[in-house]
Amino acid sequence: MTEAGLAFLDLNDLLTELLQRVTEVLKSDTAAVLLVEEDGRTLVARAAKGLEEEVERGFRLPVGRGFAGRVAATRQPVVIPDLDNSPVTVVNPLMREKKVRSLLGVPLIVEGKVIGVLHVGSLTQREFTAGDIQLLQLVADRVALSIERSRLAVQGQIAQTLQRSLLPHSLPRLPGLSMAAWYLPAAEESAVGGDWYDVIQLGHRRLGLTIGDVAGHGLAAATYMGQLRSAIRAYSLVIDRPAELLKLVSRFADQEHSRMATVIYATLNLDTWVVDFARAGHPYPLLLRADGSSTFLTEASGPPLGSGAVGDYDQQRIALGPAETLFFYTDGLIERRGKTLSDGEAALSEAANAAPDEPELMCREVIQRLTEGIDAPDDVAVLAVRAVGLDDRLEVEVPAVAEQLATVRHLIRRWVTAKGGTDDDCAAFAVAVSEACANSVEHAYGPGDAMIDLRAELNDGEALVSVRDGGEWREPTGQHRGRGIPLMKEFMDDVAIETEDDGTTVQLRRRIGGAP
Amino acid sequence: MPELARLSFGKEGDVELAHVAGEVDASNVAELTKQLLEAVSNQSRALVLDLSETSYIDSSGISLIFDAAARMKNRRQEMRLVVPPKSFVSEVLGAVSMSDSVPIDAALPEALRAVGSGGA
Repeated sequence: MTEAGLAFLDLNDLLTELLQRVTEVLKSDTAAVLLVEEDGRTLVARAAKGLEEEVERGFRLPVGRGFAGRVAATRQPVVIPDLDNSPVTVVNPLMREKKVRSLLGVPLIVEGKVIGVLHVGSLTQREFTAGDIQLLQLVADRVALSIERSRLAVQGQIAQTLQRSLLPHSLPRLPGLSMAAWYLPAAEESAVGGDWYDVIQLGHRRLGLTIGDVAGHGLAAATYMGQLRSAIRAYSLVIDRPAELLKLVSRFADQEHSRMATVIYATLNLDTWVVDFARAGHPYPLLLRADGSSTFLTEASGPPLGSGAVGDYDQQRIALGPAETLFFYTDGLIERRGKTLSDGEAALSEAANAAPDEPELMCREVIQRLTEGIDAPDDVAVLAVRAVGLDDRLEVEVPAVAEQLATVRHLIRRWVTAKGGTDDDCAAFAVAVSEACANSVEHAYGPGDAMIDLRAELNDGEALVSVRDGGEWREPTGQHRGRGIPLMKEFMDDVAIETEDDGTTVQLRRRIGGAP
Repeated sequence: MPELARLSFGKEGDVELAHVAGEVDASNVAELTKQLLEAVSNQSRALVLDLSETSYIDSSGISLIFDAAARMKNRRQEMRLVVPPKSFVSEVLGAVSMSDSVPIDAALPEALRAVGSGGA
């Protein structure tokens, strides 16, 4: 059972215990609690004694109608000495079935708001005294507070559970790119908000990235966040352009809710590392450059969702360069009481520049530094994507699936170019590395998470690329198969295949850049 | 959504034309093979596989060509390739001496003329 379930149980126990006591103290035959629904217009039977069917049947009535409805509407105690001669129409048929004669109901009020009704009944005709009324109201006041507390706690837990279940459980592993995301819940449980991030795999060539923030807190905010997340996921399957997607999401938002939300939707081309994004009132993404400088990306603009402003969204395009990191975040990270937004942005870029390059560490450290010493931090979501640096040594892990081959070719071409290789050198390494990886894919050890270790290094004008896997090298069989090795040899100066107990390493060498 | 390769078909009399644009590797070769085999009927006299817009081909793509050529030969159908000289694909096919098994033309009109004349 979940924590939220346990809290529900607590409320049930509390009410059962309460009704037992109330019937004892007031010597009544029945007792019941009805609570006002979220809409503020409907009462629902929540617990009953002597009238158990009322709860089982899910009895509901509008505030203002019937006996309990009148108590809630007038916010005053209501007494019915004799149901047969009552000026108030009792709408619940159960009262007659059970032959209830007299009723006393009092409102449950918390901070001036009616949250429900507590009533007791007698099977014999009874005149409830002023003392009875006073006693029941006293109980009601105490109970109302406990109910409200329990309800908020339950909602907070549900919101938190919902929130967690809507965030991705793991991020995709991509050759040449590393990603990390972090969600820090608000300090107070009931203050769980609508911050979220999402990563959507759009085929094997592109990713969709989202970061967003729904205004407000609690269950309603978390639920709305879930709706927006689903809408974006659905649109991302059919809409390529982020600006166009946000326009549709904004129409969806206007139809669904008046609640405000901000969001960034970005697409990332996995081969070219080109990022296109559109922004609906969300804080600017931060680009961290390889030389240690950073800049906020401010060109894409457009109104927040649910603001009623029908607006167009601009799109900004950047090409993520080697060793550059794109950092998305929600405003909980930069908004500080008594500080301006640009103070917050300055603090963020300083913290991000000082943090380690590796996205996982960067996310943690930035959050830690910026939320340190704050009493009750708001919830915060961050998402970072980093392109690998094309240094003299390149080390990446590649999932051993055929769909990654094209991405590997792009990556090795980039590296060879960065190291001064010619177009021919690029083509040669693309062929040889792709063939070596294809063989690893074909003989990957079992299904699932097999990875290929790809390393490249430059020594005195000679590029050495090694492809290592956990499998055995086997040339495909068949009359026209087995052309992998001849192709590699054709394009490389030297090809070495070494099989050990724990895997196979293919080493590919070629002088690049016309070096003699 | 961007696909690695697109296969499109045409007809020139009883000659089947297949045009491959993009990259061919182990991730899409099975699908391309399936589409290609479905498109070439027993009635076709010949197949011209146009690789002039193919930007990459790997050993699995080469196997596809060899397999298709063998199948066509069994059915007494002719097969020709269109590969621009000095292109990447030309270099790769040269490395495996493709022209020994399947005739290669530099452009589509030449391939069609060659089919019409019943051989290279």
